[in-house]
Amino acid sequence: MTSLILALMSALIGVLLILFIPGENKKLRNSMVFLSVLLAMAFSWRVGLMIFAGKSIGLEIELGRFVWSLRPDPLGAVFGLIASTLWLFTAVYSFGFMGNKERQHTFYAFFLLALCVTLGVAFAGNLVTLYLFYEFLSFATYPLVIHERTPEAMRAGKKYILYSLSGAGLLLVAIVLTYHQAGNLAFGARPILEGLSGPGLNWLLLLFVLGFGVKAAVMPLHHWLPSAMVAPTPVSALLHAVAVVYSGAYGILRVVYSVFGRELAGELVFSKIFLYFIVFTILAGIIVAIRQDHLKRRLAYQTISHLSYILLGAFTLTPWGLAGAVFHMISYSTLKITLFFCAGIISELTGESSISRIKGIGQRLPATMVLFVIGTLGMIGILPLNTFWGKYYLMKGSVAGGMWPLALVLIISGILNGVCFIPFIIKAFSRERTQPAGKRGFREYALFIPPLFLTITAVIMGLWPGMVWPAVQAVVEWFF
Amino acid sequence: MPAVITANLPVFLIILPLIAAFILPTIARRQRLQENLLLVVGSLGLLGAGYLVYLVMHGGISSVYQMGGWPAPWGIELQVDNLASFFLLVVALIILPVFLYSRRNMAEEVGSREKVARFYVLILLLIGALAGMALTNDLFNVYVLVEVATISCVGLVSSRNHPLSAEAAFRYLILATFGSALILGGIGFIYIITGHLNMGFAAQELVQVWQYRPHVVWMALIFLLAGFGIKAALFPLHLWLPDAHSIAPTPASALLSGLAVKGYLICLFKFFYRVAVPFLLQELAIDKIMKWAGLLGIVLASLMAIRQDELKRRLAFSTVAQIGYLFLGASLMNTRGLSGTFFYLASHAVIKSALFLSAGMMISVTGKKKVSQLAGIGKKMPVTTAVFTIASLGLVGVPLFSGFVGKWYLLLGALDSGDFLSALVIIAGSVLCAAYLFPVVRLAYFEPAEIKEAQDPGIPQKLALVFLAVLVVLLGVMPGIVLELANRAALDLLTP
Repeated sequence: MTSLILALMSALIGVLLILFIPGENKKLRNSMVFLSVLLAMAFSWRVGLMIFAGKSIGLEIELGRFVWSLRPDPLGAVFGLIASTLWLFTAVYSFGFMGNKERQHTFYAFFLLALCVTLGVAFAGNLVTLYLFYEFLSFATYPLVIHERTPEAMRAGKKYILYSLSGAGLLLVAIVLTYHQAGNLAFGARPILEGLSGPGLNWLLLLFVLGFGVKAAVMPLHHWLPSAMVAPTPVSALLHAVAVVYSGAYGILRVVYSVFGRELAGELVFSKIFLYFIVFTILAGIIVAIRQDHLKRRLAYQTISHLSYILLGAFTLTPWGLAGAVFHMISYSTLKITLFFCAGIISELTGESSISRIKGIGQRLPATMVLFVIGTLGMIGILPLNTFWGKYYLMKGSVAGGMWPLALVLIISGILNGVCFIPFIIKAFSRERTQPAGKRGFREYALFIPPLFLTITAVIMGLWPGMVWPAVQAVVEWFF
Repeated sequence: MPAVITANLPVFLIILPLIAAFILPTIARRQRLQENLLLVVGSLGLLGAGYLVYLVMHGGISSVYQMGGWPAPWGIELQVDNLASFFLLVVALIILPVFLYSRRNMAEEVGSREKVARFYVLILLLIGALAGMALTNDLFNVYVLVEVATISCVGLVSSRNHPLSAEAAFRYLILATFGSALILGGIGFIYIITGHLNMGFAAQELVQVWQYRPHVVWMALIFLLAGFGIKAALFPLHLWLPDAHSIAPTPASALLSGLAVKGYLICLFKFFYRVAVPFLLQELAIDKIMKWAGLLGIVLASLMAIRQDELKRRLAFSTVAQIGYLFLGASLMNTRGLSGTFFYLASHAVIKSALFLSAGMMISVTGKKKVSQLAGIGKKMPVTTAVFTIASLGLVGVPLFSGFVGKWYLLLGALDSGDFLSALVIIAGSVLCAAYLFPVVRLAYFEPAEIKEAQDPGIPQKLALVFLAVLVVLLGVMPGIVLELANRAALDLLTP
C-alpha cells in the first residue's frame, strides 16, 4: 500500500521540487526529474510484482459520498509498469532532446505531473477515480502539446482539449448511468453490471466506448492525434504513442472486462458492431499513414492503426485474445517509442522531418537507422521481435472466438505496415547525399541510448516471450 | 448558549445587517470604522449561520419562529428549517470574503470615498433581504423582501462610477419592477383562492381548491415563474443581467451573480414546493416550462458567453447558463435532482463570487477589460490567476472541485426521471463552460506576456480570494455537511 502511494507521490513531489529550482540550474533539475521518475518506476514495479504474486493491495477513502480508491488489479499493474518504465527512458531522451530549448521548467513539471496522473489511471480502483485521473490527464498533457507555442501548436492544443473534454463528458454520463443501474462502481473480481440485461446496455456501452475511444483514437474520433504531433518528440513518443492513448485503450479493456464482463459484452449487439469500427481503423489507419509525408504524422497514423489491435483483442472476448491485447500493449510500446525516438534524432540532427527529403540519411546516421529498421520490422510483426507474439496470440484469439477474418485483417495490416516504411528505409540507405556524422557529445548519447536499450529489450523479449508471460497470465486469470 | 439567544437566532440574522445598515450612515466619514463594522457583521453572521445549521441538524431549535410571539394565521412566521439554514450558510460564506475584498478598495470603483458608505448600506440591505427570503414563511413578506432586494440591487448597479451604469441600472429597474408586479399578481391570486398568506395554511387550502379553479392556479404559478424568472435571469428573461452584472462594481457583481439571483430562486422554490405541490406543477405542466427554459438557457447562454470578449460580460452570461442548471434540476421533481440543485446553487454561489472577484481584480489592476488583452497575467498576478483557474475548474465540473458533486447529483436526478436528454445537456454545458473559461486560463499562463506591470492585490483581497478558492476545493473534496443539508432540504420540500 505504501509503495502504491509512493509511486504517485514521488512524481508529484518531483513537480513541486522542480518549481522551486531556479531556472538556470539545469543539472540539478534534470537529476531531480530523473530521480523522481526512477523512484516512481521502482515503486510501481514493487506494486506490480506484488499484484502478479496474487496479493491485493490498495486503499479507499470515502469523502462525502464518493469513494476514491486506488486498488490495481493485474491489468492496471501491467499498464502502470509499461508507463513508468517507458517514462524513465523518455526522461533520459528528453535531456538530450530538449538541450537548450525554451520553457524547460514548464515542460518537465507537466512531464512529471502526467506520470503521476497516468499511474493514477492505471491504479484506479473504481470508475470515479479512473474518471478523475482520466480527466486530469488531459489537463496535464495539454501544456506539453502546446509547448512550441506556435499558432499551429495552439490550434492542435485546442483540438486536443476539446476532443478530450467531450469524451470525458460522455464518459461521465456513462459512469453516472452505471452507478444509477448498479449502485456500485468498484472494480472487483466480478463485473459491475453483472446480472443486468436489456437493450439499454447497448447505449451504455456506446457511451463508454465514445468516452474512452477519443483517447484510444478509434476512427472517426482520431483527428486530434495527428495534429498533436506538433508537440516536442519526447511528448509525441511517450504520450501520443503510449501513455495517453493507452489510457483510452486501457479504459476500453476495463469497460469490457470489469464493467460489463465478457458474458454480458458478448450478448450485446453493439460489441459486434464496434468490431467493424476497429477493423476499419486498423486498415484505414495504416493506409492513411502510407500517404503521409511528414514522418511523425506517418507514425501517428500507424499508432492509430495499432491501438485498435489492442481493442480487437479485447472484443474477441477470448482468453487468447485478451492475452494478445496485453502482450501487444507491452511489446508494441517498446518499439513504437523507439521509432519516435529515431524520428526525433533525425529531425534534431539533420533538421528534416518530411520523408521525401531525407534521402541518404542512412549514411549519415547509420546506427539510428538500424534501430529504425528494427522498429519497422517490429511493426510488421516478424520474429525474433516481441510484437510477433502479441500478433500471434491475437490471431489465435480471433480464431478461437470463431472470428477468423480478424486474423486475416491482422495479416493484411502487417503487410501494409511493411509497405508503409520499407520504401522509406530503402530510400534512406540509397547513396545520394553523404555527410559525415558530427562529433558525439552528451546530447547525442542521451538521444541514442534509450532507443538502443528499448530495441535490445524488444529482441530479448521476442526470443524469450516467457519473461512477460507471468504478467499476461495474471491478467487473463483475473478475468477468466 | 443562553436560551434567549438560541431561540431568537433566526430573527437576529435578519436584523443584524439591517441594524448595521442604519448605523453606517452615521459614521459615513470614518471609512476604517465602517469597514471594521462590516467585518464584525460578516463574522457574526457566519458564526450565527453556522450555529443555526448546527441547531437545525441536531433538532435543537423549533422549526417555527413566531414574530412577536403571535401564532399564525394572525402573526407572521419564520420557517427555520434545513432549506433556510442552508441558504443562510451560503449567504454568510459569500459575504465575509466580499466584505474583506471591499476593504480599502472601493473608492475608485464607486467614484469617491463619500459614496462608499452608500454602497455598503445597499449591500447590507440586500443581505438583510436575502436572509429574510431564506426564513420567511409568509406570502406577502416575500413580496416585501423581494422589493427590498430589487431596489438594493438596482442601487448597487448604479453605484459604479461608469457612464453606462445609469442606463444599465434603469433597464434593470424597469424589468425588475415588471417582475415584481407579476409576483404581486401571483401572490394575489393565491390569496384570493386560499384566503391565507401563511404558506402552510395556503398550501393546505390550495390542495383542496385547485381543481375548482385550475386556471387561476395556473395563472398564479405562471405569474410567479415569470416574475421570479425575470429576477433570477431565467432564459430568455435574462436580458437585463449581462449589462447590470458586468457594469456593477466588482464586489456587487459577485453578490448579485453569486447570491441575489439565488435568493429569488429560493423564494420561487418555496412557492412551487411548499405552497403548491410537485404533483400540481406536473399537472399544470409548469415543470415542462422550467425544464425547457433551463435546457435552452444552458446551451444558448453558454454559446453567447463564448462570443463575449469582455471578461465580466462573459461571466455574466455564464451566470445565465448556470441558472439554467438550477431550473433544470428543480424541474426533475425527484430528491437527487433537487438536492443536486441545492448543492449546485451553493457551489455556483462560491465559484461565481470567486470568478467575479478575481476577474474584477485583474481588470482593475491592469485596466484591461477584454479577455484577449489579459495574456500573460498568470505570471504577474499568480494568486489572483490561480483563484480564477480553480474556480474555472470548479464551474466546468472537474472531479475534486465543487461543481462536480453538483453535476453528479443533477445527472443522477435526470436519470432517475429517465430524462436522457437533460443528462446530455448537463454535460454539453460543461464542455461549453470549458470553452468560455479555459481560454482565459490559457491566455493567462501560456501566452507571451502583454501586460508589463501588475501585481497581486493587498492582503485583505488576497485573503478573500484564497478563502473562496479553498471553499471551492473543500466543497468538492468534502461536500459532507453542505450536501447533507441540501439533501435534507430537498427531502423536506418533496415530502409534504
